[in-house]
Amino acid sequence: MALPERRRLSRRQFAVLGTQVAGAIVTLALGIPIIGFLISPLFRKQAFTERRVGDISSVGTDPVKFEVTFPQNAWDVPEVKAAVYVVRIGNTVKVLSNVCTHMQCPVRWENALQKFLCPCHGGLYKRDGSYDGGPPPKPLPEYVHRLDGNILYVTNEFTESI
Amino acid sequence: MTRWLGSAYDWIDERAAIRNLLRKGLYEAVPVRGSWFYTLGSATLILIILQLVTGIFLTLLYVPSVKEAWESLNYVKQHDTFGSIVRGIHLWSAYILLFVIGLHMVRTFFSGSYKRPRELNWVTGVILFVLVLGMAITGAFLPWDQAAYWTAVVVTNIPSYTPLIGSFVRALWRGGDAVGPITLVRTFGIHIWLLPVILFPLIGVHLALLRKHGEFGSYVNYRGAYRTRQGVDVPPAPPQRRIEPPYPAAPSEELWAAPLEAEDFYPHQTFKDGVVSAALVLLVFALAVAIGAPLEAAADPSTTSYTPVPEWFYLPLDQLLVLVPRELIPLVLVLPAGGVLLLLALPFIDRGPERNPFERPAVMIPGVFAVLFMLILTLLGSGRLFNL
Repeated sequence: MALPERRRLSRRQFAVLGTQVAGAIVTLALGIPIIGFLISPLFRKQAFTERRVGDISSVGTDPVKFEVTFPQNAWDVPEVKAAVYVVRIGNTVKVLSNVCTHMQCPVRWENALQKFLCPCHGGLYKRDGSYDGGPPPKPLPEYVHRLDGNILYVTNEFTESI
Repeated sequence: MTRWLGSAYDWIDERAAIRNLLRKGLYEAVPVRGSWFYTLGSATLILIILQLVTGIFLTLLYVPSVKEAWESLNYVKQHDTFGSIVRGIHLWSAYILLFVIGLHMVRTFFSGSYKRPRELNWVTGVILFVLVLGMAITGAFLPWDQAAYWTAVVVTNIPSYTPLIGSFVRALWRGGDAVGPITLVRTFGIHIWLLPVILFPLIGVHLALLRKHGEFGSYVNYRGAYRTRQGVDVPPAPPQRRIEPPYPAAPSEELWAAPLEAEDFYPHQTFKDGVVSAALVLLVFALAVAIGAPLEAAADPSTTSYTPVPEWFYLPLDQLLVLVPRELIPLVLVLPAGGVLLLLALPFIDRGPERNPFERPAVMIPGVFAVLFMLILTLLGSGRLFNL
């Protein structure tokens, strides 16, 4: 028995539906890999590398700058240089990054001020890296590190994410 | 020879209708008064085309890789005089473009040209302005010298203060947590493909809309210009005014159909456009030769002596970064985003038929304050950075 006339898909309706389905398939087939490719770096696990910084026996209560190179976060050549500030606070050694927690500008130790100063927007940190003034929301990041006697090794990872 | 050219022209015209296309493009009515101000739009277009042309040629040498970007530009700087000039033109025409596009916007704002039926001209214009700013900021990353690197670090870090999705947005742009090889390649792709493929078709839409409704000009071109506060027209409109395309023969709003006096786009307006654009191109060329595009030392993420200085057009935002207290850092995103949203909404907020800037205090006063606010931030920023 034939369906009632109004329930049947007309030739025209079928063509409309077919066009839309074809469009949807193409959109999905292209969209999924493109978006996946775009966001793939977000889900790639960062490889952490430990590097030798050097002998820190001469470091006193004023922060001293060391330089160390790390592989980059994607293909790892060329390696990228990073600054490491080492300071003795009482019996402990602090291993600080010079990345400002405000906008990630390069913080420097200002001997005259006896503070870390960020040249971009005037952020200030005390000698142990704690917040002192200006816009930074957090203290200076600390490197994950290891001491072998007086030899310092750091990993390209902060103890707290910024 | 002439005859041969003439028949070749006819042959093409019969198939591609170029004659009609040219006529459509060149013979349009333009309001007579204030037409030097209308050159700002064409100057913007010329400067964008200058960007496109020099940009294409720069890709013939520039290497978008953290290892070689700086090296390739340093090679141009050391060994390629004409290459340096092309790079200089790309930089200086970008600077002047930002300035001219700002003036173009201010002109449109003052004259109330964004009102019905031209709301979408304004909306596309605001989007174009934002895209041009995007081009400027992504372009600033590419040399991968100290200035570029630290601009990249700070600019890609700003979105990280978006509530909830902040670090996701930052990582998406950077291609990881830190600025690195993917950051440069992504920004290069955004600068030469992603933004231009949106920008150029949108310029087409902006121009098509302009041609659809015609240049509004200013209220002084219309009958209503002579309205006194009592609402009397002095003098009355001329009796047999010729209505010229693209202006509507029947007024879409009572007072604002066709301007009182119009002249042909070609050659009268094109002459003025040509003079202004040529002067700007010459200025760009002179600056490119005399000053050129700087290239600082190669990027050094471990520096403790370099003081990053932002591009001048980015100073207001940089000064906000200094002024906004640490508890309220997301404000540096809210203020510019809110500003853009207000600009987009402008023609839908200010809907009345009044075009005279002195009769529209509700938008003119906030507008003037917004411009002053930007200027003050720029002055404070330059004072801080250059110890003025």
